[in-house]
Amino acid sequence: MSTDAQGQSSLRVLQRDRSTEPLKVFCGHCGRSPDNESEADSRVCTKCGLGLMLQAPADAAPGPSDPFLVVDGALTICAVSRIAERLLEVSETEAVNRHVAEFLVPADAESSSGESLASLLAWAARGETPSAQVVIRPANTFGVRYWARVGPCGPPTAALLVLADAR
Amino acid sequence: MPRTCSDSLGVRYLKTSEAAALLNVSPNTLRAWERRFGYPKPQRSPGKHRLYTHGEIAALKDALQEGLSISSAVSRAREGLSADADTLIGALSSFDRERADSAMEAALALRSIERSVEEILLPSLEELEQRHGLDSARWALAARWASDWLRRAQRLTPPPVRRVSLLIGDASRDELDPDAPAIRALELLCARAGARLLCLSVRGIAGLGDALAVAEPDAVVLAGGFARDDEVARWAYSVRSAAGALPVALYRREVLRPLRARTTGAAHLSSAPSEAQSQVLELVEAGRLASEKRTSPTRLVPREKRAG
Ligand SMILES: [Zn+2]
Repeated sequence: MSTDAQGQSSLRVLQRDRSTEPLKVFCGHCGRSPDNESEADSRVCTKCGLGLMLQAPADAAPGPSDPFLVVDGALTICAVSRIAERLLEVSETEAVNRHVAEFLVPADAESSSGESLASLLAWAARGETPSAQVVIRPANTFGVRYWARVGPCGPPTAALLVLADAR
Repeated sequence: MPRTCSDSLGVRYLKTSEAAALLNVSPNTLRAWERRFGYPKPQRSPGKHRLYTHGEIAALKDALQEGLSISSAVSRAREGLSADADTLIGALSSFDRERADSAMEAALALRSIERSVEEILLPSLEELEQRHGLDSARWALAARWASDWLRRAQRLTPPPVRRVSLLIGDASRDELDPDAPAIRALELLCARAGARLLCLSVRGIAGLGDALAVAEPDAVVLAGGFARDDEVARWAYSVRSAAGALPVALYRREVLRPLRARTTGAAHLSSAPSEAQSQVLELVEAGRLASEKRTSPTRLVPREKRAG
């Protein structure tokens, strides 16, 4: 594994002071944010009952209609949002504990974005705040590309991968 | 602090509302998890209410704190479940009966006795049988240990509450017969379901009528595949001549040819003891309903709904 310093130079990631960043709370399944404090305090989403409440820096967090995945430091999938389940045609229960590369791969094979994606995710899973995007595609489909925005989330600390259509 | 009930082996059960409160979710959410994730998987009370084991809910509560999704928490909790079988196999493989007892205690912390037996004890024995063979010292130890454990659990079962009496004809060879632990498991589960039991080897025929006069069985289960058909049939005829025609069920036994020719067909029970237990109680009930139609009801028993 590369050191933080090497990772930082090769990925050109801007490290920011996280303590001043606003955090957004959202459900790891339906992506919705709580309406009040008691909803925010609950570990389980009170809206859908099928996701855990997570938080992420506001600029990394998903919007209400953004598909997203949560990946740990070993790059195994820990959560798949409801919209991502539909997009990738896989249920969260099937996807958890499997490597993210089984579902999402870099869209441009000749570039080094494969390594970049892995490094970005590993970095974010340590709680760092990369501000980088990579172009990826579903592992079983060509011709579909997404911008993937990577950031930290938790608890416990993990990497958040938010997908946006890049056609 | 929710009020919990516990059974004879100390397994604590929670009602849906209590389990939901412990997890800080609604009862509807808990039922939605059961549908989507198949976990937590409650037992049913005789009144068909869900009963969750306290340990399973506590494990899920911890897993939810450490997980990033319900799916990953459930997966983590399930890993804990399979770890118990591995521990039991390891303990029995190394001839460590104390550690085997501890493995079952750990299993009971997370699930009911029925599931501990069916998901941990019996599969572990099957695994040991496959790995080492029936003529191995490891199987000998495992079979003896399992028999002791299941009998001890049965002794700790509260006295029968149903007016149901079962006669089990044990057609297994001996303790080393791979059917033997499954038969002990069926006995345990029937006892836990409130039935009165008499389990006799099919080799003992003299004085069988005296035994039946005491037991007054409602049904007969022929269990195990070792004894020859003619041997089992002779025993079954002795039962029939002493106690009259009773419903007959076969457990872990193929068709019994001499018997099939003279009875209206013996029911085949599932090889899974919990399902077999439900089936045999249904058989008793069906037999009673049929006899009530023929005679005036003298032993009316409230209709118990099948759990599950
Ligand atoms: Zn939700």
